[in-house]
Amino acid sequence: MPAAFVPSMVMPVFQLIAFSGAFGAAVKFAGIKNAMDWYVPLNAVQGASFGAMGVSFGLINDMQTGFFDRLLMAPTKRWSLVVGPMAGALVRAALPIVLVFVVGFIGGMNVPGGPMAFVTIVIAAIGIALVAAAFALGLTFRMRNMGAATLTQFAVFFTIFLSTSQVPLAAMSGWLHAVARMNPMTNVLRLARQGLLGDVTWSGTWGGLVALGGMLVASTWFALSGLKSLEK
Amino acid sequence: MTLALATRHTAWLTYRSVLGRLRQPAALTPSFVFPLFFAALGSASFSRIADRPDFQEIASSFLNYAVAGAVAQGVLFASTSAAGDLATDIEQGFFERLLASPVSRTSILLGRLGSAMVVAVVQVTVFMIIFMAFGARIESGPIGFIGLVGSGAFLSLAIGGLMSGMAIKSGSPEVVQGSFPLVFALMFLSSAFFPRQYMTGWYRTVADWNPLSHIVEGMQGFMNQPLAADMFWRAWLIPLGLAVVSIAFGLRSLSKRLAAL
Repeated sequence: MPAAFVPSMVMPVFQLIAFSGAFGAAVKFAGIKNAMDWYVPLNAVQGASFGAMGVSFGLINDMQTGFFDRLLMAPTKRWSLVVGPMAGALVRAALPIVLVFVVGFIGGMNVPGGPMAFVTIVIAAIGIALVAAAFALGLTFRMRNMGAATLTQFAVFFTIFLSTSQVPLAAMSGWLHAVARMNPMTNVLRLARQGLLGDVTWSGTWGGLVALGGMLVASTWFALSGLKSLEK
Repeated sequence: MTLALATRHTAWLTYRSVLGRLRQPAALTPSFVFPLFFAALGSASFSRIADRPDFQEIASSFLNYAVAGAVAQGVLFASTSAAGDLATDIEQGFFERLLASPVSRTSILLGRLGSAMVVAVVQVTVFMIIFMAFGARIESGPIGFIGLVGSGAFLSLAIGGLMSGMAIKSGSPEVVQGSFPLVFALMFLSSAFFPRQYMTGWYRTVADWNPLSHIVEGMQGFMNQPLAADMFWRAWLIPLGLAVVSIAFGLRSLSKRLAAL
């Protein structure tokens, strides 16, 4: 279904161009040389997560056609019904990441962190993609309709935008500063951005890894418990 | 058919469309939630920039700046959604039942556009109440408020006409919703979210040529400057001009669909 893939590839690229063009000055006032350095990691993470959420549509289709019932009757490990779609989500997440990198290079992004800069972006993007996929599966198992996909999109969208998505913490004020400080996505974005803003360091890395690990455990538990409730 | 009868048909179809909108709160919600969210996000993210002396010439605060963009965004969302309802009418056969009745053909389109305008007027009013509760000020006074509401209504006509034309042409709600990213792109490639003065390169050139930049800046004028004729020219006449073209496109699509029956 290419029609299902295209928006998840086009939107992060469009958003990268739009954010860099519209908010470029805001980011430069905050001391960042090129707006692409700030927005490439954001859009890689967001693009990967929205691509990964497509597993929800596939699952709903399987439920409606009865294929999922056949899977439940098959002698397979139950966890594979969660881990399998999550592995599929990795493939869906990879394409937007690559496209965002290409546009970033064309836009002149700086890479002072060297190859490790891309490793950290990919870890952050793939990690959030897995979290989004597991959360989408958990909701779909419970709701069993398209509303689950929409709700997952809202959840990921708001989690990303209520972090340092637009500007650094220091440039924020009021309620957003308080929310972004508490939001684990801020740590994930710090992990992703560090190699485009300077060197990759352990102090810029561990917070993001802890946040990813925590979210992944919680969302995978949510998906597995959703599958259990579906079987009941 | 007399003009008076066609006007009555339009009024009834507008009423029906508004009721249809109210019965689907889930469809209306994004056009209220997202613009308010983006305005709140923008004013918290960029408030430090608003303290710069060059920004103070544009707006007194980022919230005051963001109001116009939120109004435009909400109206664009709602108008597209209203056109989607028209496409649903075609897909589900209600459009053909209307054609079988002695209703004015033009009213079928104008009724939808009327409802888009009604929703836009309500939406802008609700937005203004919320923004003012959070500290926004209309520097041009009560006439500026009318200016903003009128601008939202005319913009809804312009976008509603275009999207309704597409709805009639395609008869598919998916096509209408699928064309929404174009509207979204139009928003981002304008000064709806950030001042043009700070943009550079090709992006600035596109924003300069984008009519939405000038409409939004007219609305921003109502919010941030003493009342001037220039604001009405930009915030009212540009969307009205676009509305003439888009309604002509809608009517042409309608007559082509009728001819094909």
